[in-house]
Amino acid sequence: MRRVSSLLACAALLALVAPVMAATRGPAAGQTLKAGVIADVTGAAGVYGSVQRNAYELANEDIRSGLLDSGGVNLTFSVQDAATDANQVANLMQRFTTDGSAIILGPTLSAEAFKTDPIAVKANIPILATSNTADGITAQGPCVFRNSLSEAQVVPATVDKTAAMWKYKTAAIIYGDDNAFTKADYDIFKAALDKRNVKIVDVETFHTNDVDFQAQLTKIKSKSPDVIVNGSLFPEATKIINQAGKLGLKAHMMGGNGLNSPKMYEVAGPNAEGVVVGSAWFIGGQTGGNGTFVARYQKRFGSLPDQFAAQAYAAAQIIASLAREGNVTPAALCNGMKNLKTVQTVLGPYSFEPNRDARGAPVVLQIVKDGFASLK
Amino acid sequence: MLSQQIANGLFLGAVYALFAIGYTLVFGVLDILNLAHAAVFMAAAFVALVLNAAGVPLLAALLLAMFFAGMLGILVDRVAFAPLRRRNAGTLVPLISSIGVAIIIEATVRGVFGIDERHFPRTPAASVALHAGSITFTALDVAIFATALVLMAVLAYVMRATALGRNIRAVAEDRVAAALLGIDLERTIALTFFIASALGGAAGVLVGLQYDSVTTSMGSRIELRGLAVIILGGMGSITGAVIGGFILGAVETLSIAYVGSQWRDALAFGVMFLILILRPTGILGKRALRSA
Repeated sequence: MRRVSSLLACAALLALVAPVMAATRGPAAGQTLKAGVIADVTGAAGVYGSVQRNAYELANEDIRSGLLDSGGVNLTFSVQDAATDANQVANLMQRFTTDGSAIILGPTLSAEAFKTDPIAVKANIPILATSNTADGITAQGPCVFRNSLSEAQVVPATVDKTAAMWKYKTAAIIYGDDNAFTKADYDIFKAALDKRNVKIVDVETFHTNDVDFQAQLTKIKSKSPDVIVNGSLFPEATKIINQAGKLGLKAHMMGGNGLNSPKMYEVAGPNAEGVVVGSAWFIGGQTGGNGTFVARYQKRFGSLPDQFAAQAYAAAQIIASLAREGNVTPAALCNGMKNLKTVQTVLGPYSFEPNRDARGAPVVLQIVKDGFASLK
Repeated sequence: MLSQQIANGLFLGAVYALFAIGYTLVFGVLDILNLAHAAVFMAAAFVALVLNAAGVPLLAALLLAMFFAGMLGILVDRVAFAPLRRRNAGTLVPLISSIGVAIIIEATVRGVFGIDERHFPRTPAASVALHAGSITFTALDVAIFATALVLMAVLAYVMRATALGRNIRAVAEDRVAAALLGIDLERTIALTFFIASALGGAAGVLVGLQYDSVTTSMGSRIELRGLAVIILGGMGSITGAVIGGFILGAVETLSIAYVGSQWRDALAFGVMFLILILRPTGILGKRALRSA
């Protein structure tokens, strides 16, 4: 396990010596490419959407300064806050299909994407999702892509890593049964645990916006599982971690992308220490300008970026690379993504699977006092 | 597990009861549902949070938030109910106007604080796990439970043993007769709103503390449960609201423990449905406020 701090120091050092890339002039130089971004900057998913907005603001600055090369295309990311409201997401999706946007990035949550992506599909505007991890997102249309690793890609790696580390025989699962993402977490964790012959001794459910999980956790405690799977989004995840600690549950805990926020320790408190989270990105990665990105983000916003910020910035890098090659219309961007050769991004070398899902290697992180540490 | 689940149910039920008695108090006096009660509950939690974050001790922040909620309750009455009361507008119109006031309060709080979840400053001593036999709880749980019980006891005393309580019960019994006896109707109604809203505000602060979560949507989360509790207890009955609150807390908790968490809401409301079939006026019957 390596500490984040030493890697950050390296990242900051690299940032200082990183040369500013000179912008090139591609076949579409001088043309305009507007990307509409739908992010839950506020509301229950604000912890994810606010950092996405930050990443696009940084990308806009980097394009203007030439640090992010768009081949002379006037590429801008127009971020709108959907406030974690599915109706607002639908309104914004409608707006971006009619205001000249050539591609839509987002929305933040999988459940929102399932409800609203069909609007863009019908209008033939391509979508690049940066934080939708439920199964079936890209199956919604021939131009729906994502650069976020799906839970189906991340969870098995998390289970493999924790099984080797904790050597558990029994597990309990608690998940939200009214949300596409958390339901997917349950299905995928269960399948991964079944595959390893881990006995699932209890399954508990809750609803989005619930705050009291003590009855479910008391029941889980009575079954004495070796490990607890926390299939929830950030607001519920923090309370489950906190209340489990309060009730004296000693079992290890792991979860999917919903638990993946550097604010987890700050909000859930010391009970969060040791919780393991599957992720698509590690802050200490050194490819695709990640060190520069981390250092610049921290300087600009006063806090470290998380996976959601990194995935958003990686999306900006992918679109900049497409613009550099002259792809500025919806059809050209869709074709460009279909035929994308490997692009160096802050997530690492990046390309799409034939089904338009992300192709990348997950990392497994453990929550520590000052954020996350990578489990090797 | 049973003893822990009973403790969980009691902690949950105490807050439901505290929230619901504010609802039922206003209904008992005016025969109307004050649907702005949940908005006052939420606004008070934000006030306590801001005060506590500014360094005001928690108990003082709670009392100040209760006072704020009480005054907000009087304002709700002046804006949403008093003008309609003077025009004898019936019971449906005030219901709608209270929804309007609730939306205004929520929009104002959202405008000031945004819609992100807020947290009370962490007090590590309050979160340390304590044990009594097989039951685990925190000092904060006990403080919240005790505060809810003390507030309910104070209300019972005010209603039974003070002139104000007698006035409120007289107005609940017969408004015209109470006025003929020299009771100042508007003052009594305003004080009823003050007490009901202060208790609702206290519930908001306690819920915010118990679950370390203050959001603009926290009122809507408890609103339906509060309504169910007062119908179950008997519309207008304070004791009924307390009993109803604890029943709902117990049924929710025990349904998770012994049936399955996916059945929690269906079972909780199913049990209430059954009780209402057997006793259509609720456990203690309609308009029990007069006897407090």
